[in-house]
Amino acid sequence: MMKFNHKVFFIALISLFLSGNVIFGIDLNSLEFPALNKIELPNIKKIQLDNGMRIYLLEDKTLPLIEASARIHGGSYLEPADKIGLGDLMGDLMRDGGTQKWAPDELDEMLEGLGASLNSYADVISSGVDLMMLSTKKELSVELLAEVIRRPRYNEARFEQAMIAYKSGISRRNDNDASIAGREFGKMIYGSDSPYARYAEYKTLGAISRNDLIDFHKKVCRPEHVQLAVWGDFDSAEMLALIKKYFGDWKKGTEKIADFPKVDYKFDQRVGLVKRLDSKQSNVYLGHIGGSTLDPENSHRIVMNNILGVGFGSRLFNEVRSKHGLCYSVYGFYSANISYPGKFFCYVGTKGESTIKAINLIRSEIERMKTEEATAEELKSAKDRYLNSFVFNFESKGQIIQRMVYYDFFGLPKDFLNKQKEEVEATTAADVKAAAQKYLKPEALRVVVVGNPESFDAPLETLNNGAITEIDVTIPQ
Amino acid sequence: MNRPLKGLFAVIFMLAVCSLTYGSVFDFSQLEKSVVEKTLQNGLKIIVLPRHDVPVVSMITWADVGGSDDPKGYSGIAHMFEHMAFKGTDEIGTTDPAKEVLLMAKEDAIFEQLRIERLKGAKADKKKLERLEKDFDKAIADAYALVVPNDFANKLENEGAEGLNAFTSKDQTAYMVSLPSNKFELWMALESERFLRPRLREMYREREVVAEERRMTVENRPMSRLLEEFLSTAFKAHPYGIPLIGHASDIQNYSRKAAKEFFNKYYGPNSLTLAIVGDVKPEKVFELAEKYWGRIPSKYKPERIATVEPTQICERRVVMPDKAQPIMLMGWHIPGETDKDMPALSALSAILGDGRTSRLYRRMVRDEKAAVSVSAFSGWPGSKYPCLAVVFCYPAQGRSNDECDKIILEEIEKIKNELVTPEELERVKTKTMTAIIAGLKNNMGLAQNLAQYNQIWGDWRALFGELDRINAVTCEDIQRVAKKYFIKTGRTLAVLETAQEEEK
Repeated sequence: MMKFNHKVFFIALISLFLSGNVIFGIDLNSLEFPALNKIELPNIKKIQLDNGMRIYLLEDKTLPLIEASARIHGGSYLEPADKIGLGDLMGDLMRDGGTQKWAPDELDEMLEGLGASLNSYADVISSGVDLMMLSTKKELSVELLAEVIRRPRYNEARFEQAMIAYKSGISRRNDNDASIAGREFGKMIYGSDSPYARYAEYKTLGAISRNDLIDFHKKVCRPEHVQLAVWGDFDSAEMLALIKKYFGDWKKGTEKIADFPKVDYKFDQRVGLVKRLDSKQSNVYLGHIGGSTLDPENSHRIVMNNILGVGFGSRLFNEVRSKHGLCYSVYGFYSANISYPGKFFCYVGTKGESTIKAINLIRSEIERMKTEEATAEELKSAKDRYLNSFVFNFESKGQIIQRMVYYDFFGLPKDFLNKQKEEVEATTAADVKAAAQKYLKPEALRVVVVGNPESFDAPLETLNNGAITEIDVTIPQ
Repeated sequence: MNRPLKGLFAVIFMLAVCSLTYGSVFDFSQLEKSVVEKTLQNGLKIIVLPRHDVPVVSMITWADVGGSDDPKGYSGIAHMFEHMAFKGTDEIGTTDPAKEVLLMAKEDAIFEQLRIERLKGAKADKKKLERLEKDFDKAIADAYALVVPNDFANKLENEGAEGLNAFTSKDQTAYMVSLPSNKFELWMALESERFLRPRLREMYREREVVAEERRMTVENRPMSRLLEEFLSTAFKAHPYGIPLIGHASDIQNYSRKAAKEFFNKYYGPNSLTLAIVGDVKPEKVFELAEKYWGRIPSKYKPERIATVEPTQICERRVVMPDKAQPIMLMGWHIPGETDKDMPALSALSAILGDGRTSRLYRRMVRDEKAAVSVSAFSGWPGSKYPCLAVVFCYPAQGRSNDECDKIILEEIEKIKNELVTPEELERVKTKTMTAIIAGLKNNMGLAQNLAQYNQIWGDWRALFGELDRINAVTCEDIQRVAKKYFIKTGRTLAVLETAQEEEK
């Protein structure tokens, strides 16, 4: 690993003469690392109520806190195409709009008076509620969860307030080039009408009524969709009794909700340009559709990602940032989900004058993943980074229990993570190259550039990457 | 006559309530007792909090130097050095340490000529510039050929490092990382080495990286552009007004020599503190600290900045036309963190603009719908020196900065004229307590807090004293500090006004 011990010794001698202090060098080779203490896997109790609601409990008395996280199956993918924004509004207002028992102001005062935090949200595939409060209020914490999940009030005034915030958000969405780039790239991959990449407009928000929120909530928030994880300072039996008290009488739903929509993707080349004449830096995304966590090569792709574009030691970082000084931020990886395909993408933010150069450097690094095997050192480093940091998967109780919830939802085996670790351990350079050849398509990239084309080092045409389309980001009134 | 008595009663009442909650909820004194510290002969301080539930450990090296210490003409060099600290050491990061010294010297020599020629501006010799730039590029490429890229970071990440990063602020520079606890000694070795013998390789390419960072985080973001204008207006004398990341022209003018001089002056062991939280034994930590960090010779500790921001004698306004949507922020001068008025100022800011029950949120976001977001904060952009209490506001669509400004000022007047309610103050105290407890969840967050309080207060115990200080605040205190600091002539206001392209 290190070949300079003699030199270190020599330098130490010199400094001895110079300073009168003995300064010895470090010898990393001689360091011996003791075995890592065993990770004590916490004992999570899993219970299913008669109504289908799944409960996960983990006692942890280190701090006087109770934390909870409810994952609710169903998110904005279920909203009608002419009411985009409905999912997000429903998610935000579960908590912000108050509950049957507590008006929104009362709820705000009570929570802040206790120093507690309670938030609700909806994302694309799921919704949820997160809570943290002092464990002196055990019953209250469960009652709060039940109120927010089961009986949101959707207060009219708060609905109006949220609507103003959402509309203001639309009016501000072009204020930041980096977010324009991310947004337009998502649309380019999944399609601008896709539930995975669509955005609310004034028109779609205008079509949403308070009743829509109530209906949407009814559709999504049902006991068989809820996985409630609670961890912290409590006794499990007592906590379970409280949960039964507040959720036990909740009736199961009858109607089945839609599956995650499929993504229809054809590989091709495109360049989309968002012209921003006063941009000081170009924001670039390039890539194509990604895959599933359940793909057989998923672990090989984790190693591939580390080599290509994740972390200080990755090729993109070395090449584009360190060697050429073209950017502060550069990264790239092949992402995978279970519910719907992820994206393969690389990002760089670089001055107008090096836009094309940076894109070309990235493209050739993608290409190189397919044509050259990683060196032994690269492979070792990529695997070591994953394997040696594996323990951080268990750093917090919240992390452990929430991972279990996620695995459970998708029916992954309990030891999924350990299996993945074993597969990473066994990954060879040939595996990585094979995965790159199967999944990376530098010949079929879609590129989004947000910047000032007048400043570019060469015309976008020189990329030779298919048709160039100017993307109009004007906000429809 | 009645007032003081009522006030006193309120204090006693609240202290009783708080100490009750405080006592029954969590015993901070136990935690305080498990923190151990040691100062080496060279002045380096080590703070350790052992926690063995998971075999991981978080470390932070906290340097008592920040952007405020940038020398004139070298704005941003504290931040630049932070980047350079990842470039390795004399031995780590190169295939040939001895040859590299020569190649770096060549880079430096050419750059110095280039720098001087560039500074001639219009009178510069174009041909000479061209030749020097060519030579410079070649010298950089030659030196880079010996570089083992990101070697220092790789050595940590390959062993499982998480969250390897650093930040520079006005008051401090911090380097953090978490490791599986069996690799702790590796960090001690590498970290001490980089502050004993940093080698500032790749200096001139890294300047380009920093220039890109400036474009990304400042020039391309409307809020950041406004912040720079705001700070340089609010501070005329004190370096809090100078951009943390540096002026674009200063970045291009950095030399390796300047960065090294900065290091030599500000990175002595008595300017450094290590805070370590996680699965380690303090005795072992101290033993390793002696072995590795004890190698660093002591230095004199640079004095604090002498410049004191003069009293602001008139309101200052910045109006920035921009194609983005309106944003506004305003600030008043307040003392530094350790001043006795600070707890009351923090409480005042919280009552004004922290959370959904705050006065500004309720009036502006909930009731009048003039803004979509408003928040207030005391102690910005740093807190080691006298700083600002600020209010940030994003007006709602179709509403103006002016409307928001008017409401904010009215609400501040109310606090000056009428006492805040005991409930409002009580909420601030409870929130502070739960925030401190919640902050204990995370090793790195806790390490950061211990180090920061140690720097600013000279003792990490001040972290746990935070609660006592806030609990001592009365409603009268809040009124008093509002009158004392939130004065018209001391205010700076910055607004971003939406304009069409051609108006700019």
